[in-house]
Amino acid sequence: MNTPDTAHTIANDWSPEVDELRRRRGEAERLGGDEAVAKHHERGRSTIRERIAALVDEGSFQEVGKLTGTGEYDARGRIARVTPAPYVMGLAQIDGRPVALGGEDFTIRGGTSWSGDRKKGGQGGFIEDLAYQYRIPLVNLIDGSGGSVTSIRRRGHAVFPGVHGFERSVALMGTVPVVSAVMGTAAGGPAGRAILSHFTVMVKGSAQVFAAGPPVVERSLGQKITKEDLGGSHLAVDVAGTIDNAVANEAACFAAIRRYLSYMPQNVWELPPATPCDDPVDRREEELLRIVPRERRKPYDMRKLMGLVIDRGSLFEIQPTFGKAVITALARLGGRVVGVIANNPMVYGGAMDVKAARKQTHFIELCDCFHIPIVFLVDVPGFMVGKDAEAAATLREGMRSVYVALQASVPMYTVVVRKCYGMAGMGTTDKNGLDLKIAWPSAEWGSLPIEGGVAAAFRREIAEHHDPKQREAEIEAELRAFASPFRTAEAFGVEDIVDPRETRGYLCRFVEAAQGKLRTTLGPKTKTGVRP
Amino acid sequence: MPRYEAKTDVTGSVWKIVTSVGQAIEAGDTIMIVESMKMEVPVIAEEGGTIAAFLVTEGMSVAEGDAVAVVER
Repeated sequence: MNTPDTAHTIANDWSPEVDELRRRRGEAERLGGDEAVAKHHERGRSTIRERIAALVDEGSFQEVGKLTGTGEYDARGRIARVTPAPYVMGLAQIDGRPVALGGEDFTIRGGTSWSGDRKKGGQGGFIEDLAYQYRIPLVNLIDGSGGSVTSIRRRGHAVFPGVHGFERSVALMGTVPVVSAVMGTAAGGPAGRAILSHFTVMVKGSAQVFAAGPPVVERSLGQKITKEDLGGSHLAVDVAGTIDNAVANEAACFAAIRRYLSYMPQNVWELPPATPCDDPVDRREEELLRIVPRERRKPYDMRKLMGLVIDRGSLFEIQPTFGKAVITALARLGGRVVGVIANNPMVYGGAMDVKAARKQTHFIELCDCFHIPIVFLVDVPGFMVGKDAEAAATLREGMRSVYVALQASVPMYTVVVRKCYGMAGMGTTDKNGLDLKIAWPSAEWGSLPIEGGVAAAFRREIAEHHDPKQREAEIEAELRAFASPFRTAEAFGVEDIVDPRETRGYLCRFVEAAQGKLRTTLGPKTKTGVRP
Repeated sequence: MPRYEAKTDVTGSVWKIVTSVGQAIEAGDTIMIVESMKMEVPVIAEEGGTIAAFLVTEGMSVAEGDAVAVVER
């Protein structure tokens, strides 16, 4: 016989509903069903749930919106099955710090968009709101091609562009780190969503990204092209720089995301995380004394130079295969995060071409936004010259890079390794700040390199000489004597000349000393004016 | 035998070919030197192998991304 107490317990038992909840969650776990998942695996791809599990700290994923989807009910109104919404998202941790993350489920209708009362992912979705409201990084695992013309039939009307707009995505760019990984074929909205990120990465061979895919291209232009040729990593990463880094497989993709975020603060109101540093800040590398050839025409390995100066093993290069005349990398000095921008003498003698300029512009803005001091390792003869360079608008892109450097307020350090010429050279200095420029004994600078300038400036004198070649060489030698960096140092036109082996120690001291300024100037950076 | 083409990263002119056909090379070796922006820019072997052929001669103009040599692995 039931006591009044047990009767009360049974009457108030919610087990049937909790069972239904469990069943519905089970439906979500099945994704697009065994067959679709098997097909996805055959293509060498993991499912969105496997991807999330591989990326985040073990057991840290708290899913949100697991019940979303399209339910099918029997005649008595009981749930028969649910086709999940093709997007999985929630809160997780990476290296112990919270992140908002989500991604399309390709096994359900190829990850095309889904319309519930509220959007889960993509632009304007819950996942963006979570990152924005809680000021935590956003990670998009993109594997979908966005809207489809079939939605017009379902809705009964055509959707105006921007009904799910990018305004929140844009706001995120000034507040929290946004990372997007392209892990399948991305077109339309998801492709655009990927670009509105601070860091993008794609998987070689299995990911493509474009505004529109091969069928649309063929219809519009009559061009027959494979999706790999149109938007594979060679085009999107190496040629166009649409996506920053390409990686060999999904595991490398997750490693890259984790690595990138390890340099980033949670938001612009915080400092990037400092880590304990067991690499002595006063480490002197003998190799630095001989790394720059005395012969000015001979290039050297700037990446090796960078590695000798920064904390051991701390280099993470962004866009390594695009705009190769400049190297941009996140790194650490004495455990503090820095951005390093180094000219690469192996490519056009380090001259800034249009791609290098775009790369440098983005990287300066990234560092400025997240309060990451910038170290310039300078060896730049100027902007790239020639008809191709002019046709590509190198001057405009180059000046845009100079412009963003002059708007940036994060501390910048100029280390002149060899050449520092012209406007490109000026764009490596901290004009709004301390403007600390240190030079190696191999440094040289001016408004333009002497050998190029002499022929123009002394044209008549050279032409009228009985041996023009000899006269040109004489003038060059005469002017070069004045070009010694020590003479500029006498005039305090550079703040210091250092033994190359002292570079690390010098930079570590100043980066550490700048922490007070960084701590007291946190927050979003609003910039006015019109970029050229 | 698998082959690959060594490419120049820069536009310029071939200044000096420092290897010869039939020569064994290792990854990281300089195959030839291209002069660009008054700098001697090496074309570096991505992988080791044997030089099978040169696709350029000294003094010839080359454009960024041009294949300049064939290497057999």
